[in-house]
Amino acid sequence: MSPAGRTSLRAVGGALLAVLVLAAAAPGQPPEPAPAGPQKQSVWDGHRSIPVHILPLRDENGELIVPTEAYPLPYSARQTCGPCHDYETIRGGWHFNAPTAAPSVRPGEPWLEVDPKTGTVLPLSHRKWPGTFDPEAAGLTAWDFTLLFGRHLPGGGPAEPSEEEAWAHPGARWNVSGKAEVNCLACHNRSGRQDHSEWAKQVLRENLRWAATAAGGLGEVGGMASRLKETWSVHDGPNPDDHEWAVVPEIAYRAAAFDSKHRYFFDLTGKPADDRCLDCHSVSPKDAARWSAEADVHAAAGLRCSDCHRNGLDHLMVRGYEGEAAETGNRTAESFTCRGCHLGETAAGKKTVLPGRLGAPYPRHKGIPLVHFKRLSCTVCHSGPKPAEGFTRVRTSRANRLGVYGAAAWATDAPAIIEPVFKKDERHKITPQRLVWPAFWGRVKGKDIVPVRPADVLAAAGEVLGPEDRIAQVLIGLTQVTAEDEMPVLVSGGFTFAPNVDLGLDAAPREGPDPRAPASWGIRKGDGIVALVPDFDPAAEDKDPAVETRLQEFLEALGTVPGRPGQPAILVRKTLYRIVDGFLDVSEAPADLAGSPGPGWLVEGRLAPLASDFDIRTVTDKAGTERTLTEEQVAAVLGSLNRARPDGDHVYISGGRLFRLGRNGTLTARKSDAADPVTWPLAHNVRPAQQSLGWGGCKDCHSGGSDFFFGRIRGAGPLLTDAAAERSAAAFMGLGGIFQRFFGLSFIPRPLLKAVLAVCAFVIGALLVVAGLAALGRVAGFLEKR
Amino acid sequence: MLFAIVSILVLAGTFLALALHRFWTTREEARSTLLYAEIAKMYFAWLALRGLQMSRRASPRAWWSSVRGLPIWREPVLEKWLDICFYGSFLYLAASGFFFGLFIPRGLFGFPLVGHVMAGGLFAVCLTIIVLFKGRDFVTVPKPASLSLSLLDPRKMGLTPARVKLWAFWLFVLAGLLLIVSALLPMMPFLQTPGQKLMFELHRYSALLAAVAAMVFAGLELFGSPA
Repeated sequence: MSPAGRTSLRAVGGALLAVLVLAAAAPGQPPEPAPAGPQKQSVWDGHRSIPVHILPLRDENGELIVPTEAYPLPYSARQTCGPCHDYETIRGGWHFNAPTAAPSVRPGEPWLEVDPKTGTVLPLSHRKWPGTFDPEAAGLTAWDFTLLFGRHLPGGGPAEPSEEEAWAHPGARWNVSGKAEVNCLACHNRSGRQDHSEWAKQVLRENLRWAATAAGGLGEVGGMASRLKETWSVHDGPNPDDHEWAVVPEIAYRAAAFDSKHRYFFDLTGKPADDRCLDCHSVSPKDAARWSAEADVHAAAGLRCSDCHRNGLDHLMVRGYEGEAAETGNRTAESFTCRGCHLGETAAGKKTVLPGRLGAPYPRHKGIPLVHFKRLSCTVCHSGPKPAEGFTRVRTSRANRLGVYGAAAWATDAPAIIEPVFKKDERHKITPQRLVWPAFWGRVKGKDIVPVRPADVLAAAGEVLGPEDRIAQVLIGLTQVTAEDEMPVLVSGGFTFAPNVDLGLDAAPREGPDPRAPASWGIRKGDGIVALVPDFDPAAEDKDPAVETRLQEFLEALGTVPGRPGQPAILVRKTLYRIVDGFLDVSEAPADLAGSPGPGWLVEGRLAPLASDFDIRTVTDKAGTERTLTEEQVAAVLGSLNRARPDGDHVYISGGRLFRLGRNGTLTARKSDAADPVTWPLAHNVRPAQQSLGWGGCKDCHSGGSDFFFGRIRGAGPLLTDAAAERSAAAFMGLGGIFQRFFGLSFIPRPLLKAVLAVCAFVIGALLVVAGLAALGRVAGFLEKR
Repeated sequence: MLFAIVSILVLAGTFLALALHRFWTTREEARSTLLYAEIAKMYFAWLALRGLQMSRRASPRAWWSSVRGLPIWREPVLEKWLDICFYGSFLYLAASGFFFGLFIPRGLFGFPLVGHVMAGGLFAVCLTIIVLFKGRDFVTVPKPASLSLSLLDPRKMGLTPARVKLWAFWLFVLAGLLLIVSALLPMMPFLQTPGQKLMFELHRYSALLAAVAAMVFAGLELFGSPA
């Protein structure tokens, strides 16, 4: 037998043996068929367009959704998208992994818990960025965090906690709301129906498991999980007995979007459109007109966010900063930094990166000394608002709740975020950053300050934090009896205070009367204000009866004010007006009745004013500012907190200073690391080259008074105080202000220096040439021959 | 790093060469043997001894008296101030530049940098005046050369200390010109980043060339053999 034949025999024998062994090992039943259905797409097949997504929707239990059935459940991304795109892998992506991922060196925008009433602007981050508090350490459970910030969360992460965590906090209502799974549609939905506002509203209503369905436009979701009892479960279905208040969340799917097999057409894109990113990542100057807002130069050139901020199935987005490749191990990230794309350089300056992606131009940087590239990041000159225009107050989607539209105004002015503040980043390069000053109540614990929850502050503060509410309640009460064109107001300190639709108090400056005049209550009609209680003689025979009718209406209205300290009454000269048994009682004021004439509350034999001196003083002091607390309020609340928990000293942080009660009970301010501003690098918007710093020459930055070095930032915060911190731009960079001023001034004679150097170079060069030519002529013997 | 290594090697080599020249021209034992190893041994022994002697003698007072003994103080007022400005600015430029260039990773910065720029301007002006009004003192009149293999013979090149000093002067002038140009051009809106990098390196190596030329010139001027 030939060797080939022997080999074939061995092979056949081996195969036979294998079959016999397998047959002997089999437990006597047929082998399981391969699982049917789509395979997970972890490897790209090379096709450059994405397939049409006409899919059967599945709920969180994996059951097929039939839109025409009674009480269909919301679609589940885990069950609907998961069969093809591994859900657990996606869940580990940058947008979802904050609670579980290793801390990232490069800070990003923290979540800012803002509570104007307690003066809280608390920076939070699971990623342990400098200056931020871990939400758990700050007393926030995943549930609290989701309700606070879910409006700008894309699902997953804290909004989709583990079962263990979900059950760990009894106050959480995950069993009612469900979890907000990773919302694939938030980014990948190309449909114009994708509605971020709807997502925010559903989150606010605690309709977490329904939010993606409603926001994606798959159907209409009614009801509010927040109004349901904590014992309700989605398996209980609708409540037939309550169609008005505790209405169970329910979906009416858009049946027209389903085919006959109950499959839904998703209009998806692999690369999300910019609008989807901007739903959560918009940044715009405060008070700027929409038409005046500039776009990023990359967007203007036709690039999308996702062209640079790329990711694979793992959704670990390229953030695009230098050093990312070394930090994450993703070497491709090197070519998506400014330097990588435009210069083909790594963070270390090696020319090993493929430049020019997507047609990125090569910058010429004519006349820019090398030290700038060593010490500054590209974004210093190219990104954010020009510092030549001073610091810019901006609002961001996540901090200022932008992009949520409805009957109520969601967007807020607070917190005050400013940019660009130039500061050294983790690579010791100066980088433009956004800045916010933290403000919170805290308890001193060793060297640390542990934030006190706003609810605990409110509970301890009692009435100290409610002057606006109390005055607004009085004015709102009076609006019941005023005409449509009339508005009850409080006039104090040159301001007019009127109630607003949010049951708060608006202050408007008022010209004319002496601001030092005592506060008074009035009725605004048009441009004029008349006194709430006109001066008249109650004893006069010819008094206008309409006046007393009006007083009766006022008294009846004041009788509805919640939390009123006593019976409403009006003292005119020596006559007291009040309501007795539903009728206007006009009587002579008791001789021992203390108090000023006008409206008030009868409390323990005296006529107390409608608003206390403290209330009026507090709202007047803060009028016309963004401040929500006075030093008097802070001192009072700190006292209350110290009394409520005497085992630790309490402090308040605002405007870059730490405030605490001194031994004599007065408020003292001092520096503290905890009060330092929180900053994070900004990269967008990138300005065109002609708007970059340095285009106008060295003096764009190097002058005796440039904003780049010498702009001053004053600590902003809810507290009205003169003790706020103030810093120069140079101080943030870690540079000496005196030197920079001197260096800047040296640019004044620099043109002269250049001229002198040029003349010197010309003269020396000419003489060297002459001497050299002469020597050459001598050596060659030409000059001797002459 | 490369610049630091090159600088240290070149400056040390120049110093040793100048010391060898002095040893060779002033010490009889230098010619007592033909063995290079023996010469080197004696040279280093002499150098160590001389270094020890000089360090023992060194004191602020001794330095001051040496400075006061320089001929510069006996020059006419204009020349005196020209030389003070020239030597002073060059010494500051060299000291600040090499100290920061060799020992501070960040390079020259802060007030020393501002001083460097100001001293640079002064140096350029002084150098120009010196070349313009004193350059003629350093012009030699070479003989016409004949084409022969003797051109390649070092012994027939006429490498006398006086000629080396003249060459050192013109080398210094050339280095000065390069220093001025490499300082001026980066301040103008002409050069892109590679050009800026080139000028930065040119400035540093020109400074090294200037320092070597100055060392040779000063060494031969101050410690040159009477012959």
